[in-house]
Amino acid sequence: MREKSSSSRVHDLLGSALGVFALVMLLLSPWQVDRSGPDPFYKGPLLFPLITLCLMLAGSVPSIIRMVRPGTTQWYLDGHGKPFRAARVLGCLILYLGGLIFAGLEIATFVFLLAALKLVGQDTLVKLSVIPLLVTVILVVIFKYFLAIWFPEPLVMQFFME
Amino acid sequence: MFEHMAAGFEAAFSIANLAALVFGSFVGIVVGVLPGLGPMVGMVVLLPFSFSFPPDIALSLLLGVFCGGYFGGGIPAVLLRTPGVPSSIVTSFDGYPLTRKGQAQTALSAALLGSFGGGIISVLILMFLAPALAHVAASFGPPEYFTVALFGVVLVVMAFRSQLGRGIMLLGLGFWFSTVGIDGTTLSERFSFGTLSMQNGLDIVPVCLGLFGIGQTLILVEQNIMKTDHIHLSRSTLDFSELWKALKYWKTLIRSGVIGTFVGLLPGTGSILASFLSYDAAKRLSPEKEKFGHGTPEGCIASEAGNNAVPAGAMIPLLTLGIPGDALSAVLLGVFTINGIYPGPLLLIKEPVLISTLYFSMLLINVAAFCMLMLWLRPFAMIVKVPGRLLAVVIMVISMVGIYAVNTRLFDAGVAIAMGVLGYILLRLGWPVVTLVMGVVLGEIMENRLRETLSLGDGSFLILFERPICIFLILLTLLTIVVPMIMDAKKSRQGSKTASGTNP
Repeated sequence: MREKSSSSRVHDLLGSALGVFALVMLLLSPWQVDRSGPDPFYKGPLLFPLITLCLMLAGSVPSIIRMVRPGTTQWYLDGHGKPFRAARVLGCLILYLGGLIFAGLEIATFVFLLAALKLVGQDTLVKLSVIPLLVTVILVVIFKYFLAIWFPEPLVMQFFME
Repeated sequence: MFEHMAAGFEAAFSIANLAALVFGSFVGIVVGVLPGLGPMVGMVVLLPFSFSFPPDIALSLLLGVFCGGYFGGGIPAVLLRTPGVPSSIVTSFDGYPLTRKGQAQTALSAALLGSFGGGIISVLILMFLAPALAHVAASFGPPEYFTVALFGVVLVVMAFRSQLGRGIMLLGLGFWFSTVGIDGTTLSERFSFGTLSMQNGLDIVPVCLGLFGIGQTLILVEQNIMKTDHIHLSRSTLDFSELWKALKYWKTLIRSGVIGTFVGLLPGTGSILASFLSYDAAKRLSPEKEKFGHGTPEGCIASEAGNNAVPAGAMIPLLTLGIPGDALSAVLLGVFTINGIYPGPLLLIKEPVLISTLYFSMLLINVAAFCMLMLWLRPFAMIVKVPGRLLAVVIMVISMVGIYAVNTRLFDAGVAIAMGVLGYILLRLGWPVVTLVMGVVLGEIMENRLRETLSLGDGSFLILFERPICIFLILLTLLTIVVPMIMDAKKSRQGSKTASGTNP
C-alpha cells in the first residue's frame, strides 16, 4: 500500500502545485522584494529568495514531468478514505477564528467544542455537556485571568452596548 | 566554573523549575503514551504558555515534554504493539512478545530502565562534549557557520533520500517562509503582498504549531489510530524486583545510550535510527542473539536507551552551534531566541548559569519521568483508552487560543490554520515535514551567514575554499550526498541481480 501511495498521482499533483507556486513567486519576486537599497546584489534581499525558489522549482521538476506523462500511475491517496470529517472540523476551526471576533472567547470556544465533538462522533450527553464547559472554563481562567491575555471585545457586545 | 554549576544546581532545584519539569514530563508521558500524538504536539501546545516564563523554566517545561514523550512511547509499544512515538516500534519487537508470555512487567521494567539510563548517559555526554565543541566553534566565522548549516541541511534532506525531490521542495518552501516579511538586514519588504500583517513575517511558532499541532490532530480526527484497548497489568506500580533483573544488561544500556547520543547529535537522523542502531548493536553483541525478536528484556533496554538519548544529543549542536538537529530542538531554539538568547559557541560563556540549570534540569526530568511511570504505571497506561478524536478537538482549541496569546494577533492563528492544512496534507501523504521545519528554522541563519560570507569574499564563493574548516565541511557534505547514493545504487543492483537469479 505504501509503495502504491508513494507513486500515486496525488503526490505529483502536490509536487506540481508547489513547483507552479515557486515559479509564480519567482516571476513576482522583482516586484515583491523591495530592492531600493544601496547594497550590491550579493548583500541584498533578493538573493536568498531566488535561491530558495529555484530549489523548490528544481525539486518539483520530476513531479511536473510525471504529471504531464503519468505512465501507469493512478490517483490514490493512502487507503484511509476521503478527508470529509477533517474538512468539516477544519471548517469549524475557521469559523471559530471568526467567532472569537464576533462572539468572544467564551461563547466561541464553547460552541466550537460542542460542534466539533458532535462532528467527530463524541456526542454522548455527558461528553457534550461536560467537556465544552470544562475546557472553556479552564481556557478562560488560564488565558484571561492567569496570563492576562487581551482578547478583542466581541462585536456582538459592542452592538448591544450601542 | 564551580560557582556557575552551583548556581545552576540551585536554580534547577527551585520550586518553579521543579514544578515546570514535573508538569512537562507529565504532559510528555501523556502525549507519548497516546499513539498518534507524540512529544511534538505536546511541545507546540505548551509553547505559547512557556513564553510567559523565564527561559530556564520555559526550557525545563518543554524539555520535560521532549524527554517524557520518549518515556511514555514505550508503554503502548510493550502492551499493545502500538508505538506511542515512532521510534518505540523497535521496543515492541521484544516488548510485545514478553507481554504475550505474561511478562509485561519484565518488558516495562527493561524499557523504563533503558529510557532512564539512556537519558542520564546522554546528559552526561552533553555536559562534557558541549564545552569541547563550543571551544572549537569559537573560532568559527560566517563561512564556517554557513558550511555547518549547509551540512546540517544536506544531512536532513539525505535522511529522506527516498523522497529526495520532495525533501528539496519542502526545504525550499521552508526557506522561502523564512524570507517573508521585513528583511532584518536591509529592512526591505519581501513577499508581504502589500499587507501589514505579512510584514511581520511567518513566525516559527504558528508555523510549527500549525504543521504539527493542527495538522496532526486533523489526522487524528480522520483516522482512528488506536485499534485496541485491552490492557493487562498485574499491578498498578512497576515491579521493582524486575528492575534489578534488568540491570544485568548494564553494558547494553551504556552502549545504547552512547549510540543514541551520537545519532541525536547528527541533524535530521532522528530517534528511529537511534533505536534501530542500538537494537542492532545489542543483537549483534549479545550472547543470547536468538532471543531477539522473540522477547528479551535486552532488546527493550537497547531500543529505549537509544531513543531517549536523542534529546540530549540533539542539544549539543543546538547549544554550541545554534543549529537544531530536528523539529523538536527547532522549537527549543524558538524559546531561546524569543528570550533574546542566541545559541552558539558564546552561549556557554555568556549564559553559564542557564546552561548549568539546563543540564541539571535534564537530569531531573529523567528522574521525574522515571519515578512517575514507576509509581503510576497503570494509570498512565490507561490513558490510551481516552478517545483520540475527543483529545484532538480539545488540542485544536488550546492550540488556537495559545497561538493567539503569543502576540495577541489573530493573523498568527490564521497562519496556524493554513499551516495545519499544509501539515495535514503532508503528513497524510507521508512527505518529510521535518525538512520544511528545518527550512523555516535554518532559513534566517543560512541567509545571514551567506550574505556575510559573500561580503567577506567580495561577492565570491571562493572564500569558502580558502578556509580549512570550510573545505573539510564541504568535503563532508559531498560525502554525505555521494556515499549514500553509491550504497543505494549498489543495493538496487544487488537486488536486481537476486531477482534475475530467482526468476530464470
